[in-house]
Amino acid sequence: MENILSILVFFPLVAGLLGFLVDKNSIRVYGIAVASIEFILSLWLWMLFDTSNAGFQFVEMIPLVPDFGISYYVAVDGISLFIIIMATLMTLIGIIALNIEKNIKNLIITLLFLEVAMIGVFVSLDAIIFYLFWEFSLVPMLYIIGAWGGERRIYAAVKFFLYTFAGSLIMLIGMLYVAYVYHSVSGAWSFAITDWYALVLPFEVEKYLFWAFFIGFAIKVPMFPFHTWLPYAHGQAPTVGSVILAAVLLKMGTYGFVRFSLPMFPDASVAYIMPVAILALIMIIYTAMVAYAQEDMKQVIAYSSVSHMGVIIIGTFAMNAEGITGSIFLMLSHGIVSGALFLLVGSIYDRRHTKLMSEFGGLASVMPKYALIYGIMLMASVGLPLTIGFVGEYLSLVGFFKVSPTLTVLAGTSIILGAVYMLTLYKRTFFGPVTNDANKKLMDLDGKELTALVPLVAIVIWLGIYPKPVLVPIDNSVKALTSFMHEKAHTPKAKATILVSKTTREVK
Amino acid sequence: MENLVYIALFAPLVGSIFAAFYGMSPKNIITGIVTSALLFVSFVASAILLNHVMTVGPIHVRMMDWIMAGDMLIPFGFIVDQVSVTMMTMVTLISTIIHIYSNGYMEHDKGFNRFFSYLSLFVFSMLILVMSDNFLGLFIGWEGVGVCSWLLIGFWYHKPDVTRDINPSISPSWAANEAFIMNRIADLGMLVGIFLIYWNLGTLQYDEVFASVGPLENDLVFWIGITLFIGAMGKSAQFPLHTWLADAMEGPTPVSALIHAATMVTAGVYLVIRANPIYDLIPDVGYLIAVVGTFVAIFAASMALVNRDLKRIIAYSTLSQLGYMFAAAGLGAYWVALFHLVAHAFFKSLLFLGAGNVMHAMNDQLDIFKMGGLKKVMRWTYLYMGVASLTLAGIWPLAGFFSKDTILEVAFNEHTYGIWFILWITAGLTAFYSFRQVFLTFHGTQRYDDADAHPHEVQKYVLIALIPLATLAVIFGGFMDTFKTFTTTLLPAYEMSEHTHHIAWMLIAVTSAIAISGIIFAYLRYGKGLKRNEKLENSLPYRVLSNQYYIPILYDKVFSKPYASLSKFSWQVVDQRIVDATVDGIGGIIKSTGDNTRRMQTGNLSDYLKWMAAGALLLVAIAFLAFKLTQGAN
Repeated sequence: MENILSILVFFPLVAGLLGFLVDKNSIRVYGIAVASIEFILSLWLWMLFDTSNAGFQFVEMIPLVPDFGISYYVAVDGISLFIIIMATLMTLIGIIALNIEKNIKNLIITLLFLEVAMIGVFVSLDAIIFYLFWEFSLVPMLYIIGAWGGERRIYAAVKFFLYTFAGSLIMLIGMLYVAYVYHSVSGAWSFAITDWYALVLPFEVEKYLFWAFFIGFAIKVPMFPFHTWLPYAHGQAPTVGSVILAAVLLKMGTYGFVRFSLPMFPDASVAYIMPVAILALIMIIYTAMVAYAQEDMKQVIAYSSVSHMGVIIIGTFAMNAEGITGSIFLMLSHGIVSGALFLLVGSIYDRRHTKLMSEFGGLASVMPKYALIYGIMLMASVGLPLTIGFVGEYLSLVGFFKVSPTLTVLAGTSIILGAVYMLTLYKRTFFGPVTNDANKKLMDLDGKELTALVPLVAIVIWLGIYPKPVLVPIDNSVKALTSFMHEKAHTPKAKATILVSKTTREVK
Repeated sequence: MENLVYIALFAPLVGSIFAAFYGMSPKNIITGIVTSALLFVSFVASAILLNHVMTVGPIHVRMMDWIMAGDMLIPFGFIVDQVSVTMMTMVTLISTIIHIYSNGYMEHDKGFNRFFSYLSLFVFSMLILVMSDNFLGLFIGWEGVGVCSWLLIGFWYHKPDVTRDINPSISPSWAANEAFIMNRIADLGMLVGIFLIYWNLGTLQYDEVFASVGPLENDLVFWIGITLFIGAMGKSAQFPLHTWLADAMEGPTPVSALIHAATMVTAGVYLVIRANPIYDLIPDVGYLIAVVGTFVAIFAASMALVNRDLKRIIAYSTLSQLGYMFAAAGLGAYWVALFHLVAHAFFKSLLFLGAGNVMHAMNDQLDIFKMGGLKKVMRWTYLYMGVASLTLAGIWPLAGFFSKDTILEVAFNEHTYGIWFILWITAGLTAFYSFRQVFLTFHGTQRYDDADAHPHEVQKYVLIALIPLATLAVIFGGFMDTFKTFTTTLLPAYEMSEHTHHIAWMLIAVTSAIAISGIIFAYLRYGKGLKRNEKLENSLPYRVLSNQYYIPILYDKVFSKPYASLSKFSWQVVDQRIVDATVDGIGGIIKSTGDNTRRMQTGNLSDYLKWMAAGALLLVAIAFLAFKLTQGAN
């Protein structure tokens, strides 16, 4: 299976195109079937993956524009492997849980195209291909928000598109400049990221490039103060859009930091830990407060995403294996948990056509299954040990503690403030007497919703108790990354900050 | 033996999962029976392990890996040594009794099955907490009991929020959230302690940490000690994180017994005892702990003096006794702290369960001003609560006498006479408020309406289940020497000086004197029934005490409300009017620029020519300037 990555990328594309031929009434089954096959393919990729090998695997390289060194160059390592699996899983779950009748055929085909873009981003090792997938991912999402969204869907969709697009353009300029520098140093054109890794840049150059890439990634994450597109996008997007957006699309930004910024600009990354960390801190604390002030349940989850992404950034910039491994694991856990929370909000919206917390109260006695799953996801979201949420959050914080104890204590308030807004949400929605008559006869979760949610609950607990099968491959690749960064860094500060870990482990 | 460790640990979890399967169905007595039986299994396993540790020695098992990244490796490992096996036996014994008790207490509750699921899960978390062989494992249990207490305090979640005048705890769900959030504040401290340990010692395993902590810089050890203690303060509800404990009385009474007597609140004391090699290096922090403990002892006792709520009085007394434990642990007498912890667990759970009987009999009435004369109808409960109160007051030869008296001796021995004096006064207060409560509940004349309640004794099996607790509350003091020999194989052996030995009888005499005076005073005031003193009740000190020094209201005004308004401000002003408005503003500028420049597109050729000429001129100018600038630079 040397071509498994290409199959993964293009199978949903072909299936999506064929989807136009499928009858409207069977499109849902078709979509679930395609997404299931894709998910199983990604699991198979995991089976085939050599977990003791920290480098890139399943490499495919087909020159496209040889004169400019542009090629179809894809591969995975421990860092991207699990994000891909999460993307296929969340797409599948999103399609299973679909509750939209209007133009369902277009929606499912759009979701399959979106899946192509997402997987494309995480497997690309050629900057141009990466950029193409990166931008292509905007289109299906624009369509999903714009066509199936709420009242202000056009405003939200356009804002989402233009904002992230503007950021990406700056990143593109950065990419072109790196290619130019590469050409002037080596005499050949190349857009292969692995070639770029070898490029040792003077700090003056690294500095500007770091910020050019930073803008592109930061808007995608989204980092404060570039985050305001997100509440609109979530507020207007249909449930499936929010699930994919929160679970996978945001991770492109944080993944970008790990894939590009850290190995390409280790010195600048270390030099700018403080400004980046301060932005991340603002994300953590300030957005947690904003989340607490919300009236709308979905907005709480949307802002809480920003807050958690702050912890991911902190972990990424810890410059040691503990923190970076933790941040990648947190990307996965946040994907699962926030995806599940958006599904849960969607369930109640389908029943009551409102997401305002003041409309609810006492739901625990009317919908016990719903309350139970919500409760488990809430606990995972606030990072309770033995749920998936703890592992990544803990490791990210522990990693950054090495860089700055003070800032880590401030970032650690995330565990308090997270509990404050989530428990308040839960109390307002689920506890107290049932005061609103409209809530007295609500149906508990049905079979379809449980099919979507129960696997996520199982993952939340499984990876909370036994994260080893996922942590070790990530950690191996991260250790290779940190030792590479340490090797490459030339400023004394970066050499001292980037820690090389000597421990090696295997999944038994 | 390894298997026994797992049986002791996982039996409650199995019970919890079993009951959870019935969680959404109507009451099924099987859940109560199965969970109680499994708890008993866990107790028996713990008792066998206790014997094993006594005769053979500690057991250390490693189940599997948990978290690994970088150079960090955290396993699920469990240590059964003198300290943890003591805790295990005590926790499982009391929990078994509480489970049996709950079968009767929750008989008519809709959430019967759910209750047992939570209760057993709580015990499992507590066992993880005491049995883990590393700090992060302890943290699992630490957070686990936090969640379970959230579930249990908020068990009657359907009750609405009311104002503080009607119910000082507002509502079960409010109290549950308060408990969780306050504990989280402390947990952050604990996490920081864990981070410090990891980055300085490279491990979180107890044995490795304690072996290598010695050479560490004193400043670092100081911070480790402080941060771990902050964690302990939350779980053990030490000032200023104490308010959740009294509010936690909103939970069903067996929960209060479980949380307050045997388990959750003692976790903080357990942590300090467990980390004794760290605290031995930093006597200053130890002294601070002792001072905080002493302050809390008298602070909580003072609030208990005037409270009218049966359960809250017992809650404050718990708080006060925790203060004693911290005082002992802070002064380095770890085994004394552990001894008081265990003795307290026996008599305090007895007291709570007795209070539960009274509550049931009185149709959930908690105001002791509206009780009276119950001893006629509830003889056994009267006896139990009387014995528990006597031992809480520290009357010879009951368990509380030995444990509390030793703490006072330690304070004297350390020449910390201030601590000794305050703890001595507190002993008097303790005796007074305990018996005020006993007399108001059981003595005097009936002050409730016959229409409101028909008090009756609880089921026989519930009363029988309490016998072990009552017995231990009476005789446990006799085991003090055995306990000391056993625990001090692991903990530092604290010895009194010659001098203290000589005057020990005098200390005992003055302590007993103040305790007995407290009881006598309570009898004089309340022995014959309630004589209300309006003037006293309206005086300022009385109101300050009955309003918990206005601390809950202060927290509300200083933290909760400003946080809420600042949050609103962040959202509505900063986020929407500044950050997002800037974004939209930039978008607007681009749009209007486009709109304005569109007017150039007139379709008139000569207009275009003019623009072309202007553009060409501009380019030439730029080129010229650039040329000049680069020349200047060269």
